[in-house]
Amino acid sequence: MFKDLDPILHSQLRLAVVSLLMGVKEAEFVFLKEKTNATAGNLSVQIQKLKEAGYIDVTKKFKNNYPLTICKITTRGIKAFEEYVKNLQEYLGKNK
Amino acid sequence: MPTKELTEEESLKLITDMIGKTKSHFHESGASLILWGTIAGFCAILSFIQSYWHFSIGFDVWILTLVAIIPQVWIGIKESKEKVVKTYQETYIDIIWIVYVVSIAAMLIYVNVTYYTSQRLLSNDGIELFSKNIATGEIKPFQVFPPSFSSIMMILYAFPTLATGLITKYRPLIVGAMICYVCFAVSLFTSFTYDMLLTAIAVICCWLIPGLMMRNRFLKQKIEKDV
Repeated sequence: MFKDLDPILHSQLRLAVVSLLMGVKEAEFVFLKEKTNATAGNLSVQIQKLKEAGYIDVTKKFKNNYPLTICKITTRGIKAFEEYVKNLQEYLGKNK
Repeated sequence: MPTKELTEEESLKLITDMIGKTKSHFHESGASLILWGTIAGFCAILSFIQSYWHFSIGFDVWILTLVAIIPQVWIGIKESKEKVVKTYQETYIDIIWIVYVVSIAAMLIYVNVTYYTSQRLLSNDGIELFSKNIATGEIKPFQVFPPSFSSIMMILYAFPTLATGLITKYRPLIVGAMICYVCFAVSLFTSFTYDMLLTAIAVICCWLIPGLMMRNRFLKQKIEKDV
């Protein structure tokens, strides 16, 4: 357990979501659900937390009369992720 | 996936796994490539047949490429509705193909406008060009036209294909584009008739065949996902 790591990102599902969003321009909720194997309820809660932290943008639309949630990483989210990876690398480097 | 806290090794593994999942996500169905490979291939083969056996079907077969815009729009709308993720790679590839369409349209305008402009400018200067058949002595009005226009078109066909192939690391597109460049090089030394045959080979190799292979891969992925 390390103290320097961002507590928002240092959670399995939130880190998975941010890692996925780092590699794409934007993703629908179903894509994130499929890739993380999370339940819809749990994923919704974690997406909301990331949104509140300003790490992702969430847009809600309708597609064929069904609600559609599109997530996109923000500049703040990218910086936080990069910082997280940097801290992780430093930690792993120290423990080699 | 639970919301548990992670060890440093678990974090790193999770990041690697998730980034790998976005890389392995491939949506391209190949439908557009199949459509344009078929249409352009058919038009080129029919043009070759007409030119080789000296007959005409009564209209310019390449008009079919304009008709093909309708199914292309339908494919575009359908695929965008089915997409659950938009990658940066797809965005850049879309931009390349938009630039390609603009370039093709510009080339078609160029070839038609410069033809009439050249005739008008020569006419304004009181000049008329003629060509003489050395064997028969027949003299005919000479029409100014860009030489081996099909060769220029083949360079254009190869450009977005090669760029897409290199970005996606999809070998059939890269090989297809290479064949297209070879056809371009050969077409510099051939007549219009054989240029059409080379155009057919080029579009079949750089669009139709990779499109069919892509379609096969797409359907396999879909079946695996459904299982």
